[in-house]
Amino acid sequence: MRLTSLPPSFARWGRAALALCGLAVLPGCDFNFWRMDGHQTTMVTAGPVAKSQLDVFYVTVWVTFIIFILVGAVLAYATIKFKAKTEADEHAEPPEQSHGNPLIELGLIGASILALVVIAVPTLKAIWYTYDVPEELRENAYEVTATGYQWWFKFEYPNEQIDGAGTLVTGNELVIPAGRPVRVNLRTVDVIHSFWVPKLAGKVDMIPNRGNHLWLQADEPGYFWGQCAEFCGESHAVMRFRVIALSEEDFAEWLAAQKAPARTVAPAVAQAGALPQAQFASFRRNEYGFTDKWDANAAVPPLEHWRQQQFPAKDEDAALIAEGRRLFVEKTCAGCHAIRGHEGMGITGPDLTHIGSRTTIAAGLLENNREQMARWLKHPEVVKPGNLMYTTGYVANNVQLNDAEVNALVAYLESLK
Amino acid sequence: MDASVKSHFTGAEAPAPTRAAVFWRPTAKSGLVSWLTTVDHKRIGFLYGVFALFFFLVGGVEALLIRIQLAVPNNDFMSAQLYNELFTMHATTMIFLAVMPLSAAFFNYMMPLQIGARDVAFPRLNAFSLWTFVAGAIVINLGWFMPDGAPDAGWFGYAPLTSKQFSPDHSIDTWVMGLQLLGVASIAASLNFIVTIINLRAPGMTMMRLPVFTWMTLVTAFLIVLSFPAITIALVELMMDRLFGTSFFEVSNGGMPILWQHLFWIFGHPEVYILILPAMGIISEILPTFSRKPLFGYPIVVFSGATIGFLGFAVWSHLMFTTGMGTVATAAFALATMAIAVPTGVKIFNWIGTLWGGHLMMRTPMMFALGFVWMFMMGGFSGIMHSAAPADAQQQDSYFVVAHFHYVLIGGSIFALLAGIHYWFPLMFGRKVSEFWGKLSFWVIFIGFNVTFFPMHFLGLNGMPRRTFTYDGNLGWNAPNFIATVGAMILGLGIFVYFVVMVYTYFKGEKVKRDYWDGRTLEWSLPNPPPEYNFAVIPTVHARDAWWYEKHHREEIAREKAAHAKEDAAHGGIHMPFQSIYPFVTSVGILIGAVGVCAVDYGHKLPVVIAGGVIMLIGIYLWAMEGNEGYHIQPNEEDLKS
Repeated sequence: MRLTSLPPSFARWGRAALALCGLAVLPGCDFNFWRMDGHQTTMVTAGPVAKSQLDVFYVTVWVTFIIFILVGAVLAYATIKFKAKTEADEHAEPPEQSHGNPLIELGLIGASILALVVIAVPTLKAIWYTYDVPEELRENAYEVTATGYQWWFKFEYPNEQIDGAGTLVTGNELVIPAGRPVRVNLRTVDVIHSFWVPKLAGKVDMIPNRGNHLWLQADEPGYFWGQCAEFCGESHAVMRFRVIALSEEDFAEWLAAQKAPARTVAPAVAQAGALPQAQFASFRRNEYGFTDKWDANAAVPPLEHWRQQQFPAKDEDAALIAEGRRLFVEKTCAGCHAIRGHEGMGITGPDLTHIGSRTTIAAGLLENNREQMARWLKHPEVVKPGNLMYTTGYVANNVQLNDAEVNALVAYLESLK
Repeated sequence: MDASVKSHFTGAEAPAPTRAAVFWRPTAKSGLVSWLTTVDHKRIGFLYGVFALFFFLVGGVEALLIRIQLAVPNNDFMSAQLYNELFTMHATTMIFLAVMPLSAAFFNYMMPLQIGARDVAFPRLNAFSLWTFVAGAIVINLGWFMPDGAPDAGWFGYAPLTSKQFSPDHSIDTWVMGLQLLGVASIAASLNFIVTIINLRAPGMTMMRLPVFTWMTLVTAFLIVLSFPAITIALVELMMDRLFGTSFFEVSNGGMPILWQHLFWIFGHPEVYILILPAMGIISEILPTFSRKPLFGYPIVVFSGATIGFLGFAVWSHLMFTTGMGTVATAAFALATMAIAVPTGVKIFNWIGTLWGGHLMMRTPMMFALGFVWMFMMGGFSGIMHSAAPADAQQQDSYFVVAHFHYVLIGGSIFALLAGIHYWFPLMFGRKVSEFWGKLSFWVIFIGFNVTFFPMHFLGLNGMPRRTFTYDGNLGWNAPNFIATVGAMILGLGIFVYFVVMVYTYFKGEKVKRDYWDGRTLEWSLPNPPPEYNFAVIPTVHARDAWWYEKHHREEIAREKAAHAKEDAAHGGIHMPFQSIYPFVTSVGILIGAVGVCAVDYGHKLPVVIAGGVIMLIGIYLWAMEGNEGYHIQPNEEDLKS
C-alpha cells in the first residue's frame, strides 16, 4: 500500500480505515491504480498507433469533461436552489406552469453539435491513420501473420523462409523489429479471437472466413503484454501472449537463431540407468504462474529476462534431455507439436522448436521455468480448463506422466533454446 | 359482428348463446384460476413485475458470484466453466428477464391508465404475451437444472462459438429457444401496445397530449416490432445449423460468422434503447410531478425520443468497430453514433429545464430520478468516448465498456425503474413507502453502484479485458477489482433493503389518499388501487397534463363526465372482456414444444415436440372459437367521484 506521500498521521489513519474495511487482506497491493501504468495499460503508449488512439481518447475526455462540469453545475444549482425547504413550501401555490423555451433548446442543440465536431475531426483522421500502414512507411514495413487457436496464438513470418521447412513459425511470443511498422495479418482456425497489445495498438478481431489485419510499431525495443480480447470459450481468460521488440541487429540475430533447427545437446540415444528422482511443488488451481521478477515494480526490465532466456542453462543434464526427447515421441507429444530437426511433426499445437528461448509457456500464462513447465505438463486441464492438449492428447491417447518422466520432458524442452 | 358486441352499441340484451362446455369462460376474481385466466392489464402488469423482480434478484446473485470470483487475482472460487455460464446468464437474465419485463410491467399497468383506456386493445393476447414470456424465462434457465449446464457463450452468442462443433451440448439450444419465445412474447405485447395507443385514447387525448411515458412506450414498441425479427432470423438460422446441419454460420462450409454479428447487433443496438427509453419516459413523468411544473419542451423531448429510436437502427456496427469493417464503414458508424448523442443530450437539458423554477419535492422517487440524471450523464459521456472509433479500439471488450453500460443500465434503466416503483406504488397498492427507508435504500444503492463501477473505468483503460474468469496480480488490477467487489456487496445490500421495504409496505405500509403526489397525468385521477374497469367514466382530455388540468377546471369536467356516464348507462354499464384460460394453455404448449426442441435428446425429441405443438394448436383454436365476448358491470358509486 502506498500512502507514503501523505503526512504520517494521515497515512496511519488511512491504513486503519482501510483495515477496518477489510482491505488489509491485500498486503502489498498498489492503490494508486488511477496512474494506470500497468504492463497492459492503454494509457502509456509505446508506438504511433496506440499513441494516435490515445490522443483521440484524450480529446473525448476533455470535451465530455467540460460539458460534464457545465451541465453538472447547472443541474446541481437547480437542485439546490429550487428545492422545497419545508412541508409548507411543498404545498405552496404551484410555480408558473411554463412549457419551455425553443430558443434555449435550439441553442443547446447547436452547441452539442459543435462539441461533437471537435471530436469527429480527429476521430476521422485517426480512423484512416490506424487502419493500415501509411503509404510512405509501407516500403519499410515488416509482415507477420498471427493465427488464433483455442487458446493460444501462432505467429508466422512469411518473409523468413527456411530451406526445406517452409515459413518460420513460432508461438505465443511475437518478436518484431523495433522502429519499423509491422503489419499483422489476423487469422483464426476455430472461433473468433482478438489480437490486443494495448501499449502498441488497439485490438482487431480474428474472424473465420475473413482476412483482417492491423498495424503497429514499437518505437523502442521492449517487452509488451497482450491478451485475447474476444470471448472465445472456456479458457478465454488465459489466452495471452507477448510481443518482444528488438533492435535491428538483435532482431537479425534472433531470426538466425530461430531459423536454425532445434538444438541437440546429447547423442539421441537414451542412457541406460535410473532417471534422477524429481520432486515438484504442487500448485493450487489458478495459482499465479510467475516469480516476483515479473512484477511491474521489478528492478530488472522484462526485456532483460527475455535476453537471459536465450542462453542454455548451466546445469543441463545430457542424459535427462535425451530421455525427454525419447518420451516426447513415446507420449505422443510429437503428433501435435513440431520440433524442427527433431522428431516433432505435428502442426495442430504450438511449434516448440525453440520453446526454451521463450519467457512464457501455456500462451503467456506461466513463466517458462522448470517448476511451471512441470505444472503445465502434469495438470494441463487445471492450468487451462478445456484445452485441447488435454482432451485430444492426454485423454484420447491415455497419456500418464510420472514425476520422473515430467522431469525428463522439462529438461528436454528447456534445452530447446 | 357477434351479439354481445352489438349489445354494447345498442344497449339491447343479447340472446343467451348456446355454447359447448369447452367454451366455458372463467369468472373467478380471486385465487389461482383468476390469475391464470386474467385479462386485466393491471393484473398482467403486476405479474410481469413480480416475475421481473424475481429474475432481477437471480441476476443480481449471479453478479455477486462473479464479483466474488474477481475479488482477488488468480482466485479459485469457481471454475472457468461456471464463470462463463454466470456472466452469460447474468447478462441474458438482466436484459431479457429483468429490465425488459419490468418496463413491460409499467407499459401494461400505466399506459392504459395514462391514455384513459379501460384495457389494452387485445386483452387475451396480453395474457398470452405474459405466459409466453414466463415460458421463455423457464427455458433459458433450464440449463441450471440439466447436466449440460447453463448457456456459456455470452449473451451475444457469437458464431461459431455457438456451433455444434464448439458447443456440442444442449446449453446453447436452451438459450436459442428461450430467446425465441421471449421474442414472440415481446412482439405480441408490442403490437398490442401500439394498437392500444393508436386506437384507445380517451376523447381529446391527441398524440401531442400523450404523457411522455406513453410516448416512450409507443417508440419502444415500434423498436421491438422492428428489431426482434432480426434476432429471430439469426436464432432460427443458428437453430437450423445446430439441429439440421445447415451452414449459415458453419465456417467449413463457407458460412459467415460475421453475418451473425450484423444480425445480432441490428437487433442488439435498438435493444439498448428498448431498455433505456421506458426509463427516460418514467423520468419524464417523475421530474415534472415533483417539480410541480410541466415538462420543459415537451415536443422536443418526444421528438428526441423518436429520433433516438430511428437513429438506434443506424448505429449497430459501432459494436463491431474491431471487426475490421474498413475505413468508410467505421467512419460512417462513428459519425452516426455521435449524432445520437444530440437527442440524448436534449433530454438531459430538458430535464434540467423542468427542475428550473420548480418547487422540488425531494421524495424518494425524485431522489432516484435525480440519481438517474447524474448517472445517465456519466454513462452517456463514456458512450461518446466509444463513438470515437480509434479510442474504442482500445476500449472495446475491456472493463471500460463494462463500466459504461452499467452506468446506463443500472444508473439509467434500473434507477428509473426503481424510481417508477416508488412513484406508482401508492397508486397500485394504496400504500406509501416510508421516506426514511426509501431514501436510505437510495443512498446505499447509489454509493454501492458507484463504488462498484467507477473503478472499472480505470481497469479497462489499464487493459483488463471482459469475460475473463481470472487475472494475474502483476498488472495493476488488484485494487480496483477488490474495491468493485466491496461495492457490489454494498449495492446488493441496498437492493436487499429496497425490496424488504417494498414487501413490508405492500402488507403493512401506511394507507394513503388518492392522488398522493399531486400528479399530473390521468392515472392519478383514479382511486387506489384502481378498480378493474379503471375509469368509472371515460375522461375527456383538454390539455397535455390532463389530470392537472382537470383539477383546475372541475366544473367543465364534471359536465362532460355526466354526459359520458349517461352514454355508458345506455349501454348497460361498462363493457368488460371475459377472462380466458386459452392464452395460458397456448403458452404451456409452446413451453413443452420448446423444451422438446432444446433440452431433450434425439430419440425422445419428436414425441415431446408434437405433444407441445398439439397443445398449442388446441389452445389457439379454442381461443379463436370462444369469441371475444364480454359482460357489463356498473361502476362503484365511490369511483364516480373524483
